[in-house]
Amino acid sequence: MHELSMADAIVKTVIDAAEKNDAIEVLEVTVEIGKMTLLNPEQIKFMLDVLSEDTILAGATFILEEIPIEIECGSCGYKGEIDSEGLDEYTPILICPKCEGHEISIIAGRECNVKNIKIEKSDEDAQDS
Amino acid sequence: MHKIAEVEIQHDIMLANRKLAKKNQKILDKDEVFAVDVLGAIGSGKTSLIERLIQEMEQPMAVIAGDVISKFDAGRFEKYDVPVVGLNTGKECHLDAHLVEHALHDLPLADVDILFIENVGNLICPVDFDLGSHIRMVVISVSEGDDTVEKHPLIFKDADLVVINKVDIAEAVGADQDKMVDDVKILNPDVQVIKTSLKTGQGLKEIIEAIEKFMNE
Repeated sequence: MHELSMADAIVKTVIDAAEKNDAIEVLEVTVEIGKMTLLNPEQIKFMLDVLSEDTILAGATFILEEIPIEIECGSCGYKGEIDSEGLDEYTPILICPKCEGHEISIIAGRECNVKNIKIEKSDEDAQDS
Repeated sequence: MHKIAEVEIQHDIMLANRKLAKKNQKILDKDEVFAVDVLGAIGSGKTSLIERLIQEMEQPMAVIAGDVISKFDAGRFEKYDVPVVGLNTGKECHLDAHLVEHALHDLPLADVDILFIENVGNLICPVDFDLGSHIRMVVISVSEGDDTVEKHPLIFKDADLVVINKVDIAEAVGADQDKMVDDVKILNPDVQVIKTSLKTGQGLKEIIEAIEKFMNE
């Protein structure tokens, strides 16, 4: 249940960026969540809605995108994305798709990245930037 | 009249923790302190294992006791006359690098060779948060069920040392301890898995040797 602390960090990051860019409102927030984190996007979304209340983010749309898992195989050298459709959730960290070896390193899919925000600026501020 | 603008942020919250963890490791390395992140389920024997290691190992030690309410475990370690910092996580289910940094400043690191960081009892959340330790030791026990490893693969994938504790009661609780070892090996072929009973002392010497081997690497 660390979705709360992650959502809190996301909200703080967005407020900081919004203030630096003289936003009067945040309309949309896009967050990328790695498929190999132990974060549940549904819970994150719920927490974001709750934590946004009474902030500049209130009412913003949260778009959560998934970052696919990429692995590197120590046995055969395979490097790339894993097509995990139809597999058990953690099969990608068990078996290399090329050689079926177990010497797997996860090189992507463990991120929780605040990607971008869409903000509304007053016309005056917009001309300044 | 207002204008809509798009602002690129690209701020990885996980990366922020990892950067802090690297900073922690630098603080530790400056004083040549070897740090062990001790992870595992509630009741697997993390606190008892650290107590035994404090008693059996000769190196000067310190402990960070992380828990939702840390005073109970911290009190147990204080009896052995080692520096202890209790970290209350309150509502949180894991330690993070930021909390640990605060604790590092409260410890006499120059006088310490080994630091045990006891994480919050949990096989899920701590996985996502590096603390800056040199190794991660995962402690589970047979009483949690012999499917524990299969159900929590990521923590074992990342482990540097795995302890399967309470093997003296495996039969009584109907757990297949060898299956647990095999399950770890599928996830993490090179990791050393040590079967222990803190009650009989089985495996304790092997854990000490394993930690010392990591220290000398």
